Amino acid sequence: MRPDLRRQMPIVVSRRRFLQLLGMSGAAVFLGSCGGEEEVVQTTAASASPTTAAPTTAAPIDIDFWLPGGSDPFCQGFVTVADAFSASGSGINVTEVLCGVADDEDFNERLLANLAAGTPPDAVIIWDPPVVMASLGALEPLDDLMAASVNSKVENWPEGVLASCRWDGQIFGLPATASSYAIFYNQELLESKGIPSGRDDFPTTWDDLKALSAEFVQWDGDTLVSAGMIPPYDAVEAAIWSATNGGTLYDAESKQVRLDSDENIEMLDFGLQWLNEQYKGDWVAMDASGNYLGAGYVDELGRPPGFQGGDQLAVVNGFWLAADMYGSEFAGWERWNVAGFPVGPSGTSTASGFWPNWCAIPKGAPNPEASFAWLDYLVVDGMSTWFSQVPDIPTNRLAPDDLFPQSVADQRGDEFATDMTQFFTGQLEVAAPMWTCPVQNFLHDQLYTAISSVMLKEATPKEALTLAQEATQAELDSLLS
Amino acid sequence: MARLRRLRSRPLGRREALAGFLFVSPWLLALVVFHLYPIVAATYLSLSEYSVFTPPEFIGFDNYAKLWDDPTVWRAAGNSLFYALLSVPIGLVVALILALLLNRPVRGIGIHRTLFYMPAVVPPVAGTIVFLLLLEPRAGPLNTAIETVGLDGPAWFQDPAWAKWGLIILSLWGVGAATLIFLAGLQEIPESLLEAASMDGAGPWRRFSNVTLPLLTPVILFNLVIGVIYSFQVFDAAMIVGGTSGVPGGSTLMYMVHIYRTAFGYFDMGYASAQAMVLFLVIVAVTGAIFGTTRRWVYEGV
Repeated sequence: MRPDLRRQMPIVVSRRRFLQLLGMSGAAVFLGSCGGEEEVVQTTAASASPTTAAPTTAAPIDIDFWLPGGSDPFCQGFVTVADAFSASGSGINVTEVLCGVADDEDFNERLLANLAAGTPPDAVIIWDPPVVMASLGALEPLDDLMAASVNSKVENWPEGVLASCRWDGQIFGLPATASSYAIFYNQELLESKGIPSGRDDFPTTWDDLKALSAEFVQWDGDTLVSAGMIPPYDAVEAAIWSATNGGTLYDAESKQVRLDSDENIEMLDFGLQWLNEQYKGDWVAMDASGNYLGAGYVDELGRPPGFQGGDQLAVVNGFWLAADMYGSEFAGWERWNVAGFPVGPSGTSTASGFWPNWCAIPKGAPNPEASFAWLDYLVVDGMSTWFSQVPDIPTNRLAPDDLFPQSVADQRGDEFATDMTQFFTGQLEVAAPMWTCPVQNFLHDQLYTAISSVMLKEATPKEALTLAQEATQAELDSLLS
Repeated sequence: MARLRRLRSRPLGRREALAGFLFVSPWLLALVVFHLYPIVAATYLSLSEYSVFTPPEFIGFDNYAKLWDDPTVWRAAGNSLFYALLSVPIGLVVALILALLLNRPVRGIGIHRTLFYMPAVVPPVAGTIVFLLLLEPRAGPLNTAIETVGLDGPAWFQDPAWAKWGLIILSLWGVGAATLIFLAGLQEIPESLLEAASMDGAGPWRRFSNVTLPLLTPVILFNLVIGVIYSFQVFDAAMIVGGTSGVPGGSTLMYMVHIYRTAFGYFDMGYASAQAMVLFLVIVAVTGAIFGTTRRWVYEGV
């Protein structure tokens, strides 16, 4: 303010008035601070869009896109794809990409809050199965949009993977990527004992694999110094172990939980015997000895993984481990390979599993057609960019099929990287039904409790799985009623 | 009341009242929006079936009946009770000992006080990760120290029998806040009383047990109540150590974590609200019970 103007204005602010103003300012600041920090990345489409669109049918449609998060390059990759889509002449602009939320926030909490408030994002990537959210009425069905789409017709997806999006005869998501599971094994350890190490030589039954594992288990007193393979313990992977023994965890057709089936009890008992025979029946001692349960990753205690350290013959994990294999803890050896899952005592064929990133359109999203057009583009045209940042296997059959993790190619050559990637892609075709239960998270927690109580000798496999079965079926019945 | 009416009737009084309300308005607003409304809403939701995606549907006390029969709730409640029963008294004793030490007139006492308080301002996530490393079974500093005296340390967060003890030890990391309050209480005790006790022949222990401790009981009460409330609500550390499954073997599945996974994992907000209401009532009851005993052990005034 100019000094001459200031002189002309009689400014009288008494102490009381000042305090009143201070109080009001405090209230205003408080209300203003209620807004949270957003990790919104503005795409170039946002800045290019007119601030006031002309009310014509040709006006561009602006949409926003949310995903749970990732590294900065990963998030930036989505902005790049969104910009390319916006520039493709579709008449749709992806103006905002929200990639993760603030550190003190949870993506699901944010998404749920917006859904509850009636302000859902136009399109999302979710890490909860679409079946779960669809059964609660949170997602738009996509069947008609898929049928009319360029890329996302039903026949362009592996059925086993697409099943994770089916609820009550409709499809509620697109499994954009789905990295499958396999057994990673150390070829050099096998060769050191004169055992053939090719993929075709790897055991094809759980009995044979258990016997092979025994060759590499070594204890020093109460300390496990080298491990073969750890018996089944992961609740997510339980669907695979079950399928290899002819079982299932959940029958989507009849909407019945099958946790306590004979096949599952047998398989869990098989794992318990394995623990008893090779790991002294002492889960705690085995876990305390080193990182044998981290399945190729540094664990929560900061311990380097036994597999990369050359102290563990084999681990079960998804395709993502291949890309992450060569961390600083990888030392002293070079050659590893991957193999399919063996067949269980009562099984007849191998099976695999998968962990998808699902694309979906929340219920109430204002422009479902435009949102779907973007997702349809992303699941095929966006896959190269996605893969370059986070190597997840593209699921759509029209997506590029010549991708492989560069970090693997750098260490082992293009041929190995390509062969390994194609192997994982092929595993999607034998994927066991997973993520199909509308109370999937509840089922997982019950299964975790059951498996851990068996491994810790608190319950027999039958007792533990029966309890889990009863609780999960009751939860499912409650939802369905 | 009559005086208030008189005040309000005067223009100056009305203005002062307005200014007063404006001053407290941010707090009042926060009270209504962030405390009263959630309590009322949670009460209603606890009587409803509500998944967020569809409007709540009133179902009476079904959620409470379900809660009674839910073994996971009981397990989580048992874990929380174990944690509360041990972490609160141990925390109080440790905080009191630290406060007594920090109350001594030694050189650099200000620095010592700051150092002991600092963990209270460290983010819980960072503190928990530090303790995960400290309690690592094979190479962790604590077990290494235990080994030097010829004993085998437990597997802490790998062993269901010891994981909760790990969390209790971890809770001592944040004892600085209680220490500071004890310290303030200690400094309120009149020196004359301690001197009089000395002149009567009381040694250090008698001075502590017969003078310091009784006069500190209001502060002990405060720290006890706050400790009980916080211990029932332990979340961050349990979540980082055990995730929503309470690894290992469900031993770290605390009640608050179970509420969280029911709400945001199972999308069952109504049931989660019922669990939260029960926790609220339990805390109110326990706090009430503590206050009910104060006439027997809390000494007010000097």
